[in-house]
Amino acid sequence: MLQLENVDVCYGSFKALTDISMTVDTGELVVLLGANGAGKTTLFNAISGLVKPTGGDIRFEDKHLNGMKPSAVVSGGVVQCAEGRKLFPQMSVQQNLMMGAYVHRRDREGNRKRLNEVLELFPILEDKASQPAGSLSGGQQQMVAIGRAMMSRPRLLILDEPSLGLAPLVVRQMFETIRQINSLGTTVLLAEQNAFAALKIADRAYVMENGRLVMDGDRETMLGNEEVRKAYIGA
Amino acid sequence: MNLFFQQIINGLTLGSIYGLVALGLTLVYGILHIPNFAHGALYMVGAFMSYFFMTDLGVHYWVAMAGSAAVVAVLAILCERLVFHPLRNSPPIHDKIAAIGILLFLEAVVQMFWGSDFRRLSSPFTGIMNFDGLIIPEQRLLIIVGAFVLVIALQLFLRKTMTGATIIAMAQSREGAFLVGIDANRVAMMTFAISGVLAAVAASLYAPINLVYPAMGHLVIMKAFVIIILGGMGSIPGAIAGGMIIGFAEAFGGFYISTAYKDIIAFGLLVLILSVRPQGLFAKGAH
Repeated sequence: MLQLENVDVCYGSFKALTDISMTVDTGELVVLLGANGAGKTTLFNAISGLVKPTGGDIRFEDKHLNGMKPSAVVSGGVVQCAEGRKLFPQMSVQQNLMMGAYVHRRDREGNRKRLNEVLELFPILEDKASQPAGSLSGGQQQMVAIGRAMMSRPRLLILDEPSLGLAPLVVRQMFETIRQINSLGTTVLLAEQNAFAALKIADRAYVMENGRLVMDGDRETMLGNEEVRKAYIGA
Repeated sequence: MNLFFQQIINGLTLGSIYGLVALGLTLVYGILHIPNFAHGALYMVGAFMSYFFMTDLGVHYWVAMAGSAAVVAVLAILCERLVFHPLRNSPPIHDKIAAIGILLFLEAVVQMFWGSDFRRLSSPFTGIMNFDGLIIPEQRLLIIVGAFVLVIALQLFLRKTMTGATIIAMAQSREGAFLVGIDANRVAMMTFAISGVLAAVAASLYAPINLVYPAMGHLVIMKAFVIIILGGMGSIPGAIAGGMIIGFAEAFGGFYISTAYKDIIAFGLLVLILSVRPQGLFAKGAH
């Protein structure tokens, strides 16, 4: 579904990503592990069209994404839920969700149906629908962010550290919801530092260090790998 | 008592014009963070276009106003495409200098065609309405009603339509807007077009009770900047309320103190309000 071949990204003279090649197949839940500054966000922004790769090729269902405008990438079905949520803080929760349907704005009937599905995933948002998104707790804001991304009807959903800064109980719930979204048919690419919880719901994982992919494998291999355990799980 | 009400009408008239100009300025600032110094020149071109359509083409006042709005909207889009868009990644001082460049350029072009004489735009609404001793010239009433209708229409567009909401979304979170697939270029062009329309309509409404000349935008844009600083940069209610505050202060100050000091009042208020609330009256930032 998503294929990256030898992707490089430079910020001026600094090489943020070097020779990244990876694939995500339809229906998979793929996790990208890595420390802060490893290049996970840069990689996601390159896929979303927010940064231009300096080399290599990014393909999504045989369409070339490199150099495409961010709006075209979203219309194409690749939607990112970014780190830090990037909500519209003074808009209500409902308005935030509806803005997620911007690329499908002509299909009002479909959007209404989709909104109900999203509210089924996050029932608490229904009570908060008219509150400004900026006034919600961190966990609820993260739900709005994921809900807004789901409103764009992604075929590939990219989640950048959705558990960042959330309470442990909320984190567990968040991973359960991500698993649910995946099992309902959306392919998921997930960046996480919470390696153990992420690997438990993943099909496969990649490990990134200093802008390079250094390891990959399926869930069991990764969970059993000594280096991964030492570096990311701490056990 | 009647003189007091007369000042209210004057305050509303001035406030409406200032509010319309400041709205365009604050919308552009809100999404692109450009203080568009050329906005006053767009206002001036708007008045000259109405003048041109009415005296040279002989069309009706309304048609002239619509034509002027269309021309200035296109002009504003051209400013965005040809000047501000190419400068989007340059250091922030560049687009400020470019804005002043556009201002000087537009003034020079207008002076080339029409000279620097003062001209009068004649509106068909020259009558005077008398409400039991309270005298309201028709044109002033038109300004107040016109501005009110325009502000309501703009609010409906921004709040009730998906296309309008993209402007608000972009102002609140640029990255968020990209993530939901909003096209930044489209929003930028649309915002400049709206600001152009507001400036042209404000100028066409105000010109019949004032004069048309190439430097007519200077004082208006200075006051519009005062208004959006007072109201909070990028705030729509702030621009409207700020416009009214300055309009009323000028009308009453001019009447009760002296008309000679009328133009100082706005700047005096700016100093006063900023010493109490440095972030402006309606500054955004409710998180």
